[in-house]
Amino acid sequence: MEPQPNVYRKMLAAAISSMLLEQGYDSVEREALGTLTEMMQAFITETASLSKNYCELAGRVEPVIADVILGFVEMGFNFNSLESYYRTVKHSAVLPPLQQQQSQKQLSMLAAGSKQPLPSHIPQHLPQFPDPHAYVRTPTHKQPVIDYESVREKAAIQKRDMEKALTKFLAKTSQTHNLFDTDEANIFPLIACKPVYPPYLSALLPQDQIFDPEDLDFDPKSQIIQQQKNHDRAKKKIKAEIKTEPGEEVEQEVDHNESKNSEDNQGGLIDNPYLAATKMPGVMEIS
Amino acid sequence: MKKERTGDNCRPFKLAHQIVSLTGISFERKSIIGFVELTVVPLRDNLRMVKLNAKQCRIYRVSLNDHYEAHFQYFDPFLDVCQSDTDTRSLDAFSSHHLAAALKVDPDNSSGELVVTIPPEAAHLVAEGTALRVGIEFSLEQSEGGIHFVVPPKEGSYAERGVHLFTYGHQNSSRLWFPCVDSFAETCTWKLEFTVEDELTAISNGDLNEVVYTPDMRRKTFHYSLNVPTCAPNISLAVGPFEIFVDPYMHEVTHFCLPSLLPLLKVTTRYMHEAFEFYEETLSNRYPYSCYKQVFVDETHEDYRSYATMSILSVNLLHSAVIIDQVYITRKAMAQAIAEQFFGCFISMQNWSDVWLNKGISQYLCGLYCKKSFGNNEYRELIQSTLQDVVKYEEEFGGIVLDPSQPPAPLPVGGNAPQPNQKHCEEKFYFPTRNLHTMSPMYIDTLLKKALLVMRMLEHRIGQELLLQVFNKQLSLATNAAQQKIGSGLWGHMLISTNVFTKAIFTVTGKDMAVFIDQWVRTGGHAKFHLTSVFNRKRNTIELEIRQDATTSLGIRKYVGPLLVTLQELDGTFKHNLQIENTVVKADITCHSKSRRNKKKKIPLCTGEEVDMDLTSMDDSPVLWMRLDPEMTLLRSVVIEQPDYQWQYQLRHERDVTAQMEAIVALERYPTPQTRLALTDTIENEQCYYKVRCRAAHCLTKVANAMVSNWAGPPAMLAIFRKFFGSFAAPHIIRQNNFQNFQHYYLQKNIPLAMAGLRNTHGICPPEVIRFLLDLFKYNDNSKNRHSDNYYRASLVEALGQTITPVVSVVAQGTPITAESLSADTKLILEEITRLLNLEKALPCYKYTVSVACLDAIRKLQKFGHLPSRPTLFKSYAVYGHFIDVRLAALECLVDFVKVDGKWDDLQYVLDILENDPDPGLKHKLANLLIKHPPFKRAHRGKLDIPELVERLWTNINCMLSHDSRLRCDLVDLYYTLYGTKRPVCIPLLELAGIIDLGKYEPAAKRPKLATIPKRAASPPAPVKEVPQQVVMETVEYVDLEVVAGEEKVEKEEEVMDIKVESPVLQKQDYFSDNSVSLPGMGQSGPVGFEPGMFKKDGEKHKTDSSGKIKKKKKDKKKHKHKHKHKHEHKHGKDKEKKEKDPNKLRLKEETLSSMSSTPSPNGMSLGSTETI
Repeated sequence: MEPQPNVYRKMLAAAISSMLLEQGYDSVEREALGTLTEMMQAFITETASLSKNYCELAGRVEPVIADVILGFVEMGFNFNSLESYYRTVKHSAVLPPLQQQQSQKQLSMLAAGSKQPLPSHIPQHLPQFPDPHAYVRTPTHKQPVIDYESVREKAAIQKRDMEKALTKFLAKTSQTHNLFDTDEANIFPLIACKPVYPPYLSALLPQDQIFDPEDLDFDPKSQIIQQQKNHDRAKKKIKAEIKTEPGEEVEQEVDHNESKNSEDNQGGLIDNPYLAATKMPGVMEIS
Repeated sequence: MKKERTGDNCRPFKLAHQIVSLTGISFERKSIIGFVELTVVPLRDNLRMVKLNAKQCRIYRVSLNDHYEAHFQYFDPFLDVCQSDTDTRSLDAFSSHHLAAALKVDPDNSSGELVVTIPPEAAHLVAEGTALRVGIEFSLEQSEGGIHFVVPPKEGSYAERGVHLFTYGHQNSSRLWFPCVDSFAETCTWKLEFTVEDELTAISNGDLNEVVYTPDMRRKTFHYSLNVPTCAPNISLAVGPFEIFVDPYMHEVTHFCLPSLLPLLKVTTRYMHEAFEFYEETLSNRYPYSCYKQVFVDETHEDYRSYATMSILSVNLLHSAVIIDQVYITRKAMAQAIAEQFFGCFISMQNWSDVWLNKGISQYLCGLYCKKSFGNNEYRELIQSTLQDVVKYEEEFGGIVLDPSQPPAPLPVGGNAPQPNQKHCEEKFYFPTRNLHTMSPMYIDTLLKKALLVMRMLEHRIGQELLLQVFNKQLSLATNAAQQKIGSGLWGHMLISTNVFTKAIFTVTGKDMAVFIDQWVRTGGHAKFHLTSVFNRKRNTIELEIRQDATTSLGIRKYVGPLLVTLQELDGTFKHNLQIENTVVKADITCHSKSRRNKKKKIPLCTGEEVDMDLTSMDDSPVLWMRLDPEMTLLRSVVIEQPDYQWQYQLRHERDVTAQMEAIVALERYPTPQTRLALTDTIENEQCYYKVRCRAAHCLTKVANAMVSNWAGPPAMLAIFRKFFGSFAAPHIIRQNNFQNFQHYYLQKNIPLAMAGLRNTHGICPPEVIRFLLDLFKYNDNSKNRHSDNYYRASLVEALGQTITPVVSVVAQGTPITAESLSADTKLILEEITRLLNLEKALPCYKYTVSVACLDAIRKLQKFGHLPSRPTLFKSYAVYGHFIDVRLAALECLVDFVKVDGKWDDLQYVLDILENDPDPGLKHKLANLLIKHPPFKRAHRGKLDIPELVERLWTNINCMLSHDSRLRCDLVDLYYTLYGTKRPVCIPLLELAGIIDLGKYEPAAKRPKLATIPKRAASPPAPVKEVPQQVVMETVEYVDLEVVAGEEKVEKEEEVMDIKVESPVLQKQDYFSDNSVSLPGMGQSGPVGFEPGMFKKDGEKHKTDSSGKIKKKKKDKKKHKHKHKHKHEHKHGKDKEKKEKDPNKLRLKEETLSSMSSTPSPNGMSLGSTETI
């Protein structure tokens, strides 16, 4: 495939063509034009390169007109003839205006965030910054709305929708009662009730909410008692320290009680007839 | 009569020991085969008959000392209460028959259903003080009462199905499941054995000695022994696949529950040991038994029932730790059951009429425990509401006599002897109050409440410490007696009676309480005071007037004695003890403080605190408020008249919750901005008792509705609610639920409910309130809560129901109601209700509280015309197999439906449930619902007032409910509510009875088992009364016999006489009522409408007494009727007894209910096997 013709070269070719027209040619062969363009390009490049050299030689970064003149001189051209050429020959053709270069449009669907404008030290012609997510951060979702009211609102609606969907489904898939006499369009269907045996189980073991196991076993009183006990114990200890002799006894007593309690609580030795093993029929006869 | 006849000495024998052995317990056939052996010690050498109690048992054999076979007879008068009287449909007549029937089998009347005759060949076994063993083999098939088999119709093992059984009964009803002496006064030691299948546990009274496998290893026998003398009504049994939980604090205590409920059981019984400790400490006496068992079973007769060493409680008392409301009820029930272990089980009573003592003491103790654990406010509120209940019942039905066994001692001073008044008091109920099995359950409930109040009054009279010492003494005596053998004769100490108790008080305290007992225990009724006051500015006195106007009205009597009046003045609280001697007492009380409106000074209250008050609204009088008998030391109702600002001060500043409650009730009548402010401040006051705050909210509803025309601002309480429960950022959105603060929890439940009662000028609920309620539903969020919100949600649904007002009919009358014709608000409400009800199917909440509220709301929508009124929905929820609360709610709706626009079919549906439902507790509650919402008003000629209903109810009370006296008495209540005590109007007169067949309704079709009830057999439905054949069996001795022939005639003659005697009385009555100034609406006794039986009576009188007074007031007639009844009571009874013994009829019965089969006993040997104890 033919490579995209260079824009500058295209312009150069246009300039050569207009010059040829000035000289009186009507047409030009493609090869001739190409050669002329090539020559012209080589000439300009050479001139520019020489000018740059002179400029650098003079310790500058940007060439001035004198550098260009020196470049021409170096090339063996009379710089002054350029002016006369410009004045004498009537230039009929001008270069076509440069086509507005359409910058490659970003696909809008991929746009995320607003692009940052170029800072002042960067020339405006340079390409714009890419989308911020490409180099600053990448937000994967919208920032949540965190004001209380809408959160509650949303949660409420969500919960209700869920419940509605569930009840609607259940009502559609099972028998229903109708509150109205007409059969058509039961807008308020009631799911028919079915007896469940034993009825107390579902009532006493509700399923409408799931509680933490600690809630289900929560015993505020025992906590208070525990705190008090600790408190009392601490107090007793202080007292015992103050009164040396009777204090020891107290503490011993306390310890004794405690050990007894803990033993009881372990439940290893509960003497309850309902926990005892069933006797064999023979045993009774013996006893 | 030196020695009075009491429950413990009326029998010619004593019971020493009893063995109960149930071997064949079958859940499939719901039957039991068993054996009992009573060791009887005759008190006479010539004892020829042993009368025992047994009901619905089939008795195979009665043996004496294992060797002799004894003849026996069995009869149950409750199978046909009015034997000879086939046509009477009046409660007046039924009442006397009912009592006679009850007395005929009352063990305390030395009678029983089962009469064992000692054969002559065994006569030598009988000797005074020598033990005689009476063994009885029996079986129980398809029992209808006394023992309840719960067998859910489901597949699976016993444990999976939750199959179990337990015994229950109304008062003394142990006879329903084993033969015994069913008296509270007959105590003995027990040996109990139950053989059950391997996976089941049998729980009974006393110590479990051992559990032994049967030889085939498939069943096991539980051996219990109870060495503390105990009466038969306190014996019980529960069998089932129970989970066993030994109390971690007290290893003697064991809890049992049905499978998969163990976690709930652990939570529920967590603090039970505290009740034990409390009682032991309070009574300074140890728990009298060696063990205690709590069994939670389904379908109970009542919430709890205490038996010796065990109590049977409803499974519905169980709750998890996230439930709030149920905890109070459950703890109280358990504490009450334990208190009854001391008084009720360990200490029994001498007569049933002493029931008030045991119940009163145990409730009093339980009250003390509640005071300790729930607080003084709760306790005072309980006492106040109990007092109100008693007052309400007494004013409706008549004064309750706690102990009717003995009349109060006549007053020593002559004066206007209240004796005739007394007579009047005694028998004015429509049911006999002389036997436990004939009394209305409502009456018994109220009696027990009154017992608590009287016990508390005693506490005030002699002091708590001394009263507890009296209890302690009773317990110590009983403990001592319990360790003795029967020979010591000390077992009587285990029985309590009014006399024994009075004596005990005297010995302990030195105070003679006989007058108190006469006044409050042996006399019925309560006092009613009316207090008015005028301030005398010149003398700076307040002139009080206390009137007792209504002393002649029902249930109210005159009070004479001291009365405390408390005046709160500017300078403090001052108590004044006034002596009440007359119906009008005036007292001038000098005020301690001068009126000083402008001085700023703190005002001291009765508690000693000093508070600032805004005194601007005060009048000249320095009295801020007045109270009468503030400590509730009397049985009284009080009407105090004081201006509204005084009530407002009382509400704001009086510290006593009962005073605050009274103020709230009074303020309903003063809808002013000041009242509004006082109520609002009360609701917001965090220091205030939560029930007062809730009550204030409901009162504010009424005040706001009365002020609706000039009410400014948002609906009442909206701001308060938002302030308490609105979220911080958005006050219109309720916070996430957090029920840690119980006061707030109850407020949060009650304020929406109160707001739902608000109405705008159009009489409808303001739309913003409805929106507010719907928002509460929407934003309800319980996810972060530690407690369940099911009760809260239920109260929101209830609130939605409250907003409903009668439909404003847009569509023309008669067009069917469709979903489209609903108003927008109604649609929203209905949507909410249906959603919640449907959600409960998938995610049920605790006890289905939301479903219950939804059903109620739907009924309300129907009732107010928003929905077509249909019973189908409720019928499907009322079916057996739903949770009992749901069923009850559905039944309530059904009963309401029947009342409003029910047909006979619907009523029949309800009655079918009432008769046939498997759950005995539900039947009782259903009966109560019917009584509360009767299908039609008496004497209003309702659609359902038809003879079929009369017949159906009558058949039930007359012969269908021998096994459940509570339900029978419930139905008597219902009958009374519908027809009064006279013959129902819809039943044609006797003269016409030949035309319309009275026996149309045949219950035989329903229960073929009872098809051969003697009544039907004996008397064809004919108007001619047959004089029954008198055949008296020789075996039964009855003291006096009268000729009963020509009974009808005698009756009529006496009627004539009565009328003549009565006429002067009538005039007196008129004179009396003219003279006394009574409040409007009080003491109205004239007939208001047509009364059932009115015409009939008149007709009779015309016939019999040509010169008789035609115009007679209903009251007098009633009186006359009573007298009449008394005279005949005896005769009727005898008549029936004779009939009872008619051999033909007995045989009829034998086929169905009992067996008289006495296979001739072959054994006439072994004579010397008597034992001496």
